[in-house]
Amino acid sequence: MSEQPIADLRRHQPRFSGLESGHRACTGCGEALGARLVTEAAGPDVLVANATGCLEVFTTAWPQSSWRVPWLHSLFENAGAIASGMEAALKAQGRPTKVLAFAGDGGTFDIGFQALSGMLERDHNVLYVCYDNEAYMNTGIQRSSSTPHAATTTTSPAGKARMGKRHLKKDIVSIIAAHHVAYAATASVAYPSDLRKKVRRAMAVEGATFLQVHSPCPLGWGHDGAVSIEVARLAVQTGLFPLVELERGSLTGVMPIREVRPVRDYLRAQKRFVHLFADDPRAREELDHIQALADHNIERYGLRGDRPDALDSEGADTVRRGGARWA
Amino acid sequence: MTTMTRGAYALPGTTLNYHTGSWRVQRPEHRHRAAPCHHACPAGEDAQAWLALIAEGNRRAAWEKLIEANPLPAITGRVCHHPCESACNRSQYDEAIAIHACERVLGDEAIANNWRYPVDAPSGNAPVVAIVGAGPAGLSCAWHLLRHGIKSVLFDELPQAGGTLGTAIPAYRLPRDLLAAETGRLLELSGIDFRPLHRLGRDISLDQLRQEYAGVFLAPGNQRSREWSVDGVTPRDLHVGLDLLKEWVSVGDVPPMTSAAIVGGGNTAVDLARALKRAGVAQVHVITHQTLPRDHVRGDDAMSAIVREIRQAEEEGVTFHDQRGIRRLMLRGERVVGVEMVRMKKMVRANGRMERVAFEGTETVLHVDQVIPAIGQEVEPFGMEPLLHGQGAFEVDHWGVVSGHSGLYAGGDARGGHGTVTAAIGDGRRAALALVRHIRGEAPPKERLEEVIEIGQLNLHYYEHADRAQEPLLAVGERGLDNEIEGSIETTGADREAARCFSCGNCLACDNCWTLCPDSAVLKTTELARDGSHYRFDYDYCKGCGLCAHECPCGYIAMGEEV
Repeated sequence: MSEQPIADLRRHQPRFSGLESGHRACTGCGEALGARLVTEAAGPDVLVANATGCLEVFTTAWPQSSWRVPWLHSLFENAGAIASGMEAALKAQGRPTKVLAFAGDGGTFDIGFQALSGMLERDHNVLYVCYDNEAYMNTGIQRSSSTPHAATTTTSPAGKARMGKRHLKKDIVSIIAAHHVAYAATASVAYPSDLRKKVRRAMAVEGATFLQVHSPCPLGWGHDGAVSIEVARLAVQTGLFPLVELERGSLTGVMPIREVRPVRDYLRAQKRFVHLFADDPRAREELDHIQALADHNIERYGLRGDRPDALDSEGADTVRRGGARWA
Repeated sequence: MTTMTRGAYALPGTTLNYHTGSWRVQRPEHRHRAAPCHHACPAGEDAQAWLALIAEGNRRAAWEKLIEANPLPAITGRVCHHPCESACNRSQYDEAIAIHACERVLGDEAIANNWRYPVDAPSGNAPVVAIVGAGPAGLSCAWHLLRHGIKSVLFDELPQAGGTLGTAIPAYRLPRDLLAAETGRLLELSGIDFRPLHRLGRDISLDQLRQEYAGVFLAPGNQRSREWSVDGVTPRDLHVGLDLLKEWVSVGDVPPMTSAAIVGGGNTAVDLARALKRAGVAQVHVITHQTLPRDHVRGDDAMSAIVREIRQAEEEGVTFHDQRGIRRLMLRGERVVGVEMVRMKKMVRANGRMERVAFEGTETVLHVDQVIPAIGQEVEPFGMEPLLHGQGAFEVDHWGVVSGHSGLYAGGDARGGHGTVTAAIGDGRRAALALVRHIRGEAPPKERLEEVIEIGQLNLHYYEHADRAQEPLLAVGERGLDNEIEGSIETTGADREAARCFSCGNCLACDNCWTLCPDSAVLKTTELARDGSHYRFDYDYCKGCGLCAHECPCGYIAMGEEV
């Protein structure tokens, strides 16, 4: 039996992928996976505005590009503004193409925040996707306002003075929802079918929508690339990264957690939290603090499932022979 | 002007020109590993493989896969002690897959629809092998020879095929019309010549068989009960377990008695106990050195009888005395009036040896008017005396070659040491494979040793808890002589069980690797890939992160050294 040439097989994959192979992301990159999943669900009729960051850098090493959709990069802080302009131009031309804005947590939570806020306020027909890897990874792991409490980064090092980052992770999805947008949601690369469902929902909305995708960074978080999915899954199962949907500011959907895991399971898997397992009273206090933050999320969003559910944290990724789950 | 379609890219400018595969220090590979059910099956069935075919909705293909090892699934689905289920990785998660019940569904469906055995009639001048004994071992050997184009003649002293299946297994476990149907379908195949009422040593001789046939397989079963006594004492009216069971199975009656103690912990003891209950014996006791299984779990030194048979016997009022031995027969004249039992346990003693220890002071008396040993049988040597050297079983190698006799094979109960239907089927298969090589003048095939996958190598996160299908059971009051006690889980139950299968060590085609690869280096195939999976790794781009291997639910992807 002669096998189909692999390049030929690649051209006949039964899915659309906006992101091709050959990109320079690190091994086990959560953001590369997230971007592929988003473009897969969004389909080919899109334009992408990409803020500066890992995604922009690793997909476009000059003179090559990994993108199979029209793609534009301008600056770190203006993805929202660029996307707004692209959308306005398409509208003027009477074309139905959807605009996607891609940015990291730095470009969303911090640097690009006012441009994003303006885009939401003007309600441009854009899906803004934030790939949240919880620090400025591209420039060398500096803390952002998305970095979780007590995580160590190069600018929030754990040591004598502090146990990692002093401040809390910014609750960006609530801030977005406060703009009264039609759809804002969080998703995780560990739950691809949930993620794709949310992309499709956002795509169907005429107006500004927002998706925050939790994307592990093996380099910045300090874990092996092989366990990226497992780490992302633990973030959901502990309650530290709640998967929620907000429409016009109201909570309309959550992924229930069937078996709530202790935060230690999540933290222990990553070197950025290793100082919390030292024999130090401050470490014990921070562990309890992070557990309290998770418990608070669970209570606030009602994350604890009351019975097994096909769409909860255990049921949502159950495999079936033939891949029916990912439909 | 060239119009670029959506999803197109300019070839000179795509990152496909940059092969990130050069970063790799380890590479993912598809590695098939044996599922524990496959490894544990004495007949050599790959249950994982045929359950996968059921899950794909192709039960006929599943049956064809199953009979590559075992041509009697309707029978073994009913009577096998299913070590596959004890080994099933799922038993450590919730409950084992009901493999025996699925096997039965396939076997029954093949009979009901008269599915054709996927085998061609052998050529007219094909070699012929003589098989003595048309029980499970003999039938299995004939089938596997036929699969390799070799004819066989099956001799049996009984008028019908099936051996112990028909003489010693009660009809409530194995209905006779079912037995006749499944064995009959095999015997109808062109290339298998069944000659009933032929007894070795009377109608045919071993020398004659060895001269006239290309090879000989002996599977005469164990027809003679082992000698039994307590300190040299046996009661005058001693009935032996297997003989009594055969009598009940064929005549439907047993000698009158009001209470009986059966000695032994195997299936014969349990079957006989249930037979005596049905024959109206008020008190039936089973005394065994071994341990009763607790909560369906076999501990060390557990009774060898099938757990569900023990449970059903208990429901029917049989009393078990486990971890007990008989110290003394209480006789009045030469008749038994009771036995003195003592508690025993198998343990390591001060001398470092594992021995059964009787605990003084724990003696109790059981009043019974019959003691029936069911402690095992051995080969009736008639016609085969030179091969047995006074032993109760044949001495054979892995392939069944009788020690010192090239071209002469033995298997089934007569090889000693196991004594289950499934093991007999495995013996028949191995002997057939070796006979095929022997006839061609080749050495026996090489043993294929495949790594067995353990539960720790699966990613259980991707599975859901699901209840095991339960076969319907007749209520105790409705159980008679012939009514089959266990019902079928039917095709819907088999489909459900197949969907529960973890697919240990083999591709489930779940799309996990294809969906989760951050580098799009896993490609989905349109046809099956060369290794039988549904995906191929594109090593031009795979960076070797190991994510696919970690997230493969079945343990089918392993990270190997990059060379």
